[in-house]
Amino acid sequence: MAKTILIVDDSASLRQVVSIALKGAGYDVMEAVDGKDALGKLKGQKIHLIISDVNMPVMDGISFVKEVKKNATYKFTPIIMLTTESQEGKKLEGQAAGAKAWVVKPFKPEQMLNAVSKLCLA
Amino acid sequence: MEIVRESTDNIVRLSIAGELTIYAVGELMTALQAELGHPSELEIDLSGVSELDTAGFQQLYLAKREALSHGKQLRLTGHSSATRAVLEIYRMEPYFGDPVLIPAAGQP
Amino acid sequence: MSLDPAIQTFLTESTELLEAMEASLLRLEDTPDDADLLNAVFRAAHTIKGSAGLFGFDPIVAFTHEVESALDRIRAGKVAFSADLGACLLRCGDHMRALLEHVRGGETLPNADVDGPALLAELQRLTGASVAPSQHSLPTPQPATTEQTAAPEAGESTAATDLWHISLRFGTEVLRNGMDPLSFLRYLNTLGDIAHVTTLLDAMPELAQVDPECCYLGLEIAFSSQADKATIENVFEFVRDDCRIQIIPPRSKVSAYIDLIEALPEATERLGEILVRTGALTQSELGAGLQRQEQERSADCSGDAAASATPLGAILVQQGAVESSVVSAALDKQRQTRDRKSEENRSVRVDADKLDQLIDLVGELVIAGAGSQLLARRAGQNELVESLSTLARLVEEVRDRSLGLRMVQIGGTFQRFQRVVREVSRELGKDVTLAISGAETELDKSVVERIGDPLMHLVRNAMDHGIESPDVRVKAGKAARATLSLHAYHDSGSIVIEVSDDGAGLNRDRILSKAMERGLVVQGTALSDAEVFNLIFEPGFSTADKLSNLSGRGVGMDVVRRNVEALRGTVQLESQLGKGTVVRIRLPLTLAIIDGFLVDVAHSHYVIPLDMMVECLECGSETRTVARRQGYIDLRGEVLPVLWLRDLFDIESDSPARENIVVIQFGAQKAGLVVDALLGEAQTVIKPLSKLFARVKGISGSSILGSGDVALILDVPGLMQCATERAHQEQISIRVTSATLDDTAPAVKTS
Repeated sequence: MAKTILIVDDSASLRQVVSIALKGAGYDVMEAVDGKDALGKLKGQKIHLIISDVNMPVMDGISFVKEVKKNATYKFTPIIMLTTESQEGKKLEGQAAGAKAWVVKPFKPEQMLNAVSKLCLA
Repeated sequence: MEIVRESTDNIVRLSIAGELTIYAVGELMTALQAELGHPSELEIDLSGVSELDTAGFQQLYLAKREALSHGKQLRLTGHSSATRAVLEIYRMEPYFGDPVLIPAAGQP
Repeated sequence: MSLDPAIQTFLTESTELLEAMEASLLRLEDTPDDADLLNAVFRAAHTIKGSAGLFGFDPIVAFTHEVESALDRIRAGKVAFSADLGACLLRCGDHMRALLEHVRGGETLPNADVDGPALLAELQRLTGASVAPSQHSLPTPQPATTEQTAAPEAGESTAATDLWHISLRFGTEVLRNGMDPLSFLRYLNTLGDIAHVTTLLDAMPELAQVDPECCYLGLEIAFSSQADKATIENVFEFVRDDCRIQIIPPRSKVSAYIDLIEALPEATERLGEILVRTGALTQSELGAGLQRQEQERSADCSGDAAASATPLGAILVQQGAVESSVVSAALDKQRQTRDRKSEENRSVRVDADKLDQLIDLVGELVIAGAGSQLLARRAGQNELVESLSTLARLVEEVRDRSLGLRMVQIGGTFQRFQRVVREVSRELGKDVTLAISGAETELDKSVVERIGDPLMHLVRNAMDHGIESPDVRVKAGKAARATLSLHAYHDSGSIVIEVSDDGAGLNRDRILSKAMERGLVVQGTALSDAEVFNLIFEPGFSTADKLSNLSGRGVGMDVVRRNVEALRGTVQLESQLGKGTVVRIRLPLTLAIIDGFLVDVAHSHYVIPLDMMVECLECGSETRTVARRQGYIDLRGEVLPVLWLRDLFDIESDSPARENIVVIQFGAQKAGLVVDALLGEAQTVIKPLSKLFARVKGISGSSILGSGDVALILDVPGLMQCATERAHQEQISIRVTSATLDDTAPAVKTS
């Protein structure tokens, strides 16, 4: 059974590219536009890994990670944060909240695929 | 995860089914430790395990370690492919010392 | 892996983000301290950079990176937002748009960015940042340690193995963090071949102390791979902080292994045994190494006791110390720039083509539904008729909903003019504010896309010719600051967009004399104000007077009218001398489906858009005689020009004894269409006419009826024009009351 990955980012093009890359590698992919949307998508699903941006409207990545960590069904799910070099603080805040993996923006699709493979091989 | 307990002639058999992962290890630990107090042999049937992670593996290890130190018989049987894969990666089949049946090609 | 479909998304998204960025920058000029606005600008640049990187559009990444850094400095309060900075950032936005255009055009991005460096230099001057050479390439992950495969050193023994040795002691929290050592091992296997693994669970405490969610695992791995050390280290990058990781390259010094044994918590004998078992060391290498270590230690003891501390451990502690200070500093900074909330944005992006296909299909569904209803009625099966009408109602709803999918708010289009108004007013030395209302008014996407140009024309014209300079305004007793308004609203099946200004207004007499000069109007013709003003939409009028200062507009207004008419819309103009001008554009909400009224002329079907119909009248023989003679009838005291469709389309057949008049209205104008028979309402899917028929006047499209017949859709604005032109030809100058209607009574009334 293919592993399912949820990608949470407000940029449609980023979601699309990551989705193309991951599907090409044999993963199933779900998309959400922000933290709130993502929490809705988690319900009734089995998701093996979450990729989340930090800066998002409605519910940002840090708040989203904190919510995931409170969710009985998902609290141990690996989370990859999308950070930037200029946002070292955000990365650490994300780690403190429970997102221990990260990929620095801007990244190439292969970099994302590598990060995902380390945590959850297709 | 579901655990079914059967006991016959001094053998207790626990059949574990479903996802033996970190989400279930608390429950699993309670169930396994409850058996360690009894002198009867313990057989853990893993044929229904669809997923095993490191947390689940640690519980199997802990059960075996405790059984060994108490001189109690503990066997893992019916290894599903998910369990076989983990024991193989960690090279831990010898520790448990159980015969691992590898099904013919094409079977799970 | 083709990213082509995503590039389209990227372009659409970036264009929207740039628009949002521009809007926020303009608003920041008024409220330079608004952190939300600044964040919005930052996020736009940030998102564009991130997505551009995915596609490898490095010049965009490089440029946007600098813009983002500048914005970050402003956000952090290091630099204050100023008008100059705003202007510079706006130009940066333009530059980003220009770079995106290259992508859109399918061109390769220019390697040497012509305008970029100058813009960035200015940006850096304004933000006081030191000019750093921009980094074009993506950041490469920094390996934690840089040492590579150890070179054999003279005098020291090296291990004979070709295998990497990886020693791992995982932190207790890794499992709870979703990091399973199994995953790392599986991934490692993709980089090479795991020759041997020893799993250590010595760290697992006594039963009572075991926390089942904690990780107690340690691994000693012998690994065969061509990968370099950084790559192997990066396998564990996400657990680096809370794990002990030691990677020893093949053929390292034996002492490296001995140091490892020293550093690990397990007993030396046990570890030594493991290293031999995994093939890292031979028994003799191990023995010699341990012995040497022992000698060094006793030598050290005579000197400094502290030196006996394991070097690896010390490094780890040091590393830990550095990390913790970085953490706290970064967290402090973080608290200052906490994210703000922003507007809800839940949407699904759908390709416009897919929507068009859907709407096309719904159109076919409507037709098929109408066909079934017709058959059912013919068959006289009431139950079937009833169930089909339920179905029809649902289909109608589906149609409305799917048309609704294509509806977008006009606000985005309006917003673009903020900048135009600001820049043009600077250029002209005028003081103009733009007032926007009805931004949430929705209309079909295809209409929105094509209304931008005419609006641009109208806005520029209003600013060039309509609005006076501040001193002139003050002399005229008006506020120095002029207001230009864009207003949109829905009105009976149309959307109305108004461009109005409080400028000088149009001078009726001068337009009239100019029009006579141009031969557009015959001397002595009585024209209403509206008719006079509408003259400026005439091609001859506007193009002839490029530099017209004719108290108002003049340049290219015919182009505006043509563009609007191409959208089945109309333009009207109202003006008051000295007070201002309103240009009103009326457009259909959608171009795809209309509710129509079916009429019959000589057994051919025609569709009149229902929202343009007012009422139907019977046309008896006497009315007909009067109408034939005068070209109009008296409709309850109103002059109603009438048109015979039979004449208009040159149909050569005799009129039936009784005809009908359909009263149509477009804007404020009314006219009557004479037809043979009224067939009732019908939903109509507009099929555009082929180019061959583009010049046929009075027809805007065709449609297929449920019966399979073709019906032509009447172009009401076009017909209206015909009717009024004819009325003019008849030289109507006095209000006519002589025509009486004998048997004219409203037969059918529609709204």
